[in-house]
Amino acid sequence: MIGSIVSSGVAIGCIYALIGIAYNVMFSASRVFSFTAGTLGMLGGVLGSLFIARMGMPVAAGFLLALAGGAALGIVTEIVAVRPVLKSLDQHLYVLSTLALALMIQQFTAIEWGTDARPFPRLFDIARGGFDQQFWLPMLACAAVIVGLELLYRHTLIGRAFLAIAEDSYAARALGLPERRLRMASYALAGAIGTLAGFAGGEMLLAFFANAPMLTFYGFVPVALGGMGNNRGAVVAGLLLGLFQQAANFLVGGIFASVAVFTVFIIVLLARPEGLAGATFQRRV
Amino acid sequence: MDTRATPLRPNRAQASGSASALVAALPFLALLLAGVALPLFGGGYWGVIATRACIYWVLVSGLNLVVGFAGQIAIGWVALLTLGAYTTSVLAAGTVTPALPPYLALAIAAVVGAIFGLVVGLPALRLRTFYFAITTLGFATIVTQVALAWQSVTGGGVGVAGPVFPEPFASQWGFYYFCFGLAAICTWMTANVAASRFGRALTAIRDAEVAAEASGISKPVLLGAVFTFSGAVAAVAGGLFASLQSYITPDAFTIDLSILFFIAILIGGRGSILGPLLGTILLTVLPEFAAPLVAWSTFLYAVLLLVIVLAIPGEILDFRNRRSLESGRAIIPRPDRLERLLGALPNAGPLTLEQVRLSFGGVRAIDGLDLEIRPCQVHGLIGPNGSGKTTTLNVISGYYTQQSGAVRLNGAALPALARHRRAHMRIARTFQTPRIVGSASVLENVMIGGTVDGECTFVESLLSLPRHRRDEAMLRDTALLALEAVGLERLAAVRADRLQHSELRFTEVARALMLRPAFLLLDEPAAGLSTEEIRRLSALLLAIARAGTGVLLVEHHADLIFDICHHVTVLNLGRILAAGTPAEIRSHREVVNAYLG
Amino acid sequence: MPISVDEPLLDIAGLSTGYGKIGVLNGIRLTVRASEVVALLGPNGAGKTTLLRAVSGLLPWSGSVRFAGRNLAGASPRDVVRAGLTHVVEGHRVFTQLAVLDNLLLAAYDLPRGERAARIEEAFALFPEIAAKRHERAAWLSGGQQQMLAVAQGLVRRPRLLMLDEPSAGLSPVLVDRVLEVVGRLREAGTAVLLVEQLIEKALALADRVYALARGSIVLEAGTEEPELPRRLEQAYMATGGWSATARLPILTDFLDTRTQGMPDA
Repeated sequence: MIGSIVSSGVAIGCIYALIGIAYNVMFSASRVFSFTAGTLGMLGGVLGSLFIARMGMPVAAGFLLALAGGAALGIVTEIVAVRPVLKSLDQHLYVLSTLALALMIQQFTAIEWGTDARPFPRLFDIARGGFDQQFWLPMLACAAVIVGLELLYRHTLIGRAFLAIAEDSYAARALGLPERRLRMASYALAGAIGTLAGFAGGEMLLAFFANAPMLTFYGFVPVALGGMGNNRGAVVAGLLLGLFQQAANFLVGGIFASVAVFTVFIIVLLARPEGLAGATFQRRV
Repeated sequence: MDTRATPLRPNRAQASGSASALVAALPFLALLLAGVALPLFGGGYWGVIATRACIYWVLVSGLNLVVGFAGQIAIGWVALLTLGAYTTSVLAAGTVTPALPPYLALAIAAVVGAIFGLVVGLPALRLRTFYFAITTLGFATIVTQVALAWQSVTGGGVGVAGPVFPEPFASQWGFYYFCFGLAAICTWMTANVAASRFGRALTAIRDAEVAAEASGISKPVLLGAVFTFSGAVAAVAGGLFASLQSYITPDAFTIDLSILFFIAILIGGRGSILGPLLGTILLTVLPEFAAPLVAWSTFLYAVLLLVIVLAIPGEILDFRNRRSLESGRAIIPRPDRLERLLGALPNAGPLTLEQVRLSFGGVRAIDGLDLEIRPCQVHGLIGPNGSGKTTTLNVISGYYTQQSGAVRLNGAALPALARHRRAHMRIARTFQTPRIVGSASVLENVMIGGTVDGECTFVESLLSLPRHRRDEAMLRDTALLALEAVGLERLAAVRADRLQHSELRFTEVARALMLRPAFLLLDEPAAGLSTEEIRRLSALLLAIARAGTGVLLVEHHADLIFDICHHVTVLNLGRILAAGTPAEIRSHREVVNAYLG
Repeated sequence: MPISVDEPLLDIAGLSTGYGKIGVLNGIRLTVRASEVVALLGPNGAGKTTLLRAVSGLLPWSGSVRFAGRNLAGASPRDVVRAGLTHVVEGHRVFTQLAVLDNLLLAAYDLPRGERAARIEEAFALFPEIAAKRHERAAWLSGGQQQMLAVAQGLVRRPRLLMLDEPSAGLSPVLVDRVLEVVGRLREAGTAVLLVEQLIEKALALADRVYALARGSIVLEAGTEEPELPRRLEQAYMATGGWSATARLPILTDFLDTRTQGMPDA
């Protein structure tokens, strides 16, 4: 029983952490949060099921196509919902524009894909058993993203450019860095990461349009608790959240588990609005 | 210590105020008549639509104060509708408790809604915008899930029957008039708040929070009030909704509704009552004309929301001030008005800083500062960039707290971290960049400065009781006088964001004068003013000092300082470089160095 | 794009800009010729930083700005850098989370991959102090070293014109001299420099020409060899009066011999 709680808890925690990283990547590039992160997770499951189960593509092809779809959606988000509002004086329009876009995609999915939860295909033809692929796939995805991002930031020029913009976008602009192009690239990356989360977690979460609001909220908790823009914090907080949720599910059952998670979240957030780890490095004014 | 002068008695502008109020009321009266007469020319089908519009408006009218006026992005407000619907239905049905009369059930739902409105809303004081929005969404999801799971009480997915109101409201049209009546009352109450110091204070919190604090507005108290009110009416709307539907299940309360409420407010424009009202009617009626698109309704609402946010930065329904303003207009202050405005200020002691120290990170912004600001004097505070001038002003006005040393008024230390209490002590200030509410008129902006002088409570404003009307007249008269004193009275009715930069500066001074300040702190008021305007500002500030106020002038502009200051303190790197009369400072070698360098 | 011998490298005419409703600059006229060092002086709040931001595309502006014969209207900061004009912003802002070498790599972002290493070495050659720390995170550098890194960033692209915004701010006199010495060498190598400075004496010693900016307009333009420059500068600054003429002069000439009042930062 403990084993089951731990493996499902860590697995779902990895999914939440990945959505949190998607939020963070978008935030680092633009200093705003986008409601589309959870929607990207939902699309990972839906697109995966669509390409592989319904259209019969091979797993690798379906996987890549789903990620491409996520990246494309990330770019659309930047162009349609973020760039126009960054220029405006009203600071908070991005909340509504990204919410509107996220809803449009969710509703479109609900209408075209249907409102039922469809099964997600089994990716590897291995028998079901103790430590099943539905658990280790999300963990693998999370580890891959963490390593991949580390390599990106430390060893590629574009990754360093992302870090520069995250730290000081004014200096980056003055230096001549292509700010707009880099922001779009960040959003594409976030799109791929979010979709990857949903794809890897497809068996656990199923291809279900209502995953979007659920992931929007539970994927944000790691960001809020781990600190804005702090990916390591998001991973730790995501794992803790997943474990806590599964344990609560087991002990008190579904509904009251949700209430428990929500209440704890609110209390922690009110006590430490900057997150448990404190704010990430703030540019000195 | 009560340093108030007696407030001016309302003695004019009543007439013009009433005339414009009548004009503003016309659309509402038209809607009132149309609504009352509806059964005459509408069939039963339209009656249902109209009833639903009324119910939605009851909720939106309250949410409008939260979103449109206070600027809080509370997205999940459908949760309050759900709470109200289920509370009323369950109490009226008698499944858990003995069956209660529907009116009582509705009243209890209102109380429950008020409590939860406050609970859901208060995190807004601590959390960033996005975080708050997400928590309201999370709350909405939780409420729906609880409704689904708590089968013993809510009937789970099967649902529960809505309350049935007794005659004369049991019939379709009877119930319509019930809802219509409540909608009309909500319109009246929220319109009263909008035209009160609370409504103006809300817009100040939304658009110029630091100025709101400096004017004595307490964000927690005010937000608490509107969240409570909004929660209560939303729950009442829920009870009515349950009755209209006759049977409710959790999936009747979807995110679509929350978005619909939001769009109605945004279409109508922030800070308006009529706009969101028309928006609500429009959005309720619209789906009826586009029946085949019903499945796509949420999608289309989302598209509409996106379009509004991107394409329409300001308000749609702002009919005020379409006429052009005269160019080349001059600001001509009338210092003689100051005597009437400021009255006889009681003798106040000086405002002193003793060995104040404040560091940010490793940098000592203020390092052992002694300062004394006396009434009836203009005290200049100058120094190069980074010398600590503005930081000093921020410490006096309560935006920063010193790490050691004391700030005293008449010997008593000023409380730390209480920037909104400064207004009560008659310490007023202006800001380096003018902080005003762009969408409000100049007069309304100035009236915000007098918020602490109002005596009526929020409830009295809601109900437009006599004390509320007296407050309004008093604030209006005082504000007009202040505008005359600074020379902007001809622009009183103009939307503030149409003003030039220099006019905004003088508006801030007028707003500060509303406090009848014992001390007036000005943060680089000459920036962006022409030479002539600086001369007029100088004369105005001297007159304010002569009337008894102690003026602290933080400035960069050497001329202004040397022309009107009685005493000048020069700061450099957080310490006093020199202090004395302007003549002494002018010839001081180190000061010249610091200024040229 | 070749320019005629007479046309200045940077030609600003009638430039006006501001922040929102607040107008800061009004009808600025300023030129910089090739291989020339021009100093831009003025009291705090005059608009010097605003002018640099407008020229490099960080702020919208109206008027005319021509660089190397090319009209810069509507150009983004990236376009301006690629045209050969770099802007080292105020406050030695470098990317502290990245290594010194990475900071320079980012300055070389738009260069072809093969050229990057060479250009970075050129920049390091001028500042051996930071070349020694190339793999350290920029956060561990002192303020003065960060300033040198910021200037190095501006040089990686081999600009025709380098704009420096108060490079001496917060630096000890020794480091200030170091940075200004590099500026002198740049001039000899053919790079023009537009130098915004608070240290009048040092700027006048280094520059070929000087402009004074006060209250949003150019109030003085002169060659640094011209006589009576300190008095003319002071008159230009205090033009709207309040200071008696006889009291000021001895104080100002005294001042020009004194040291800077900045915080030592080595």
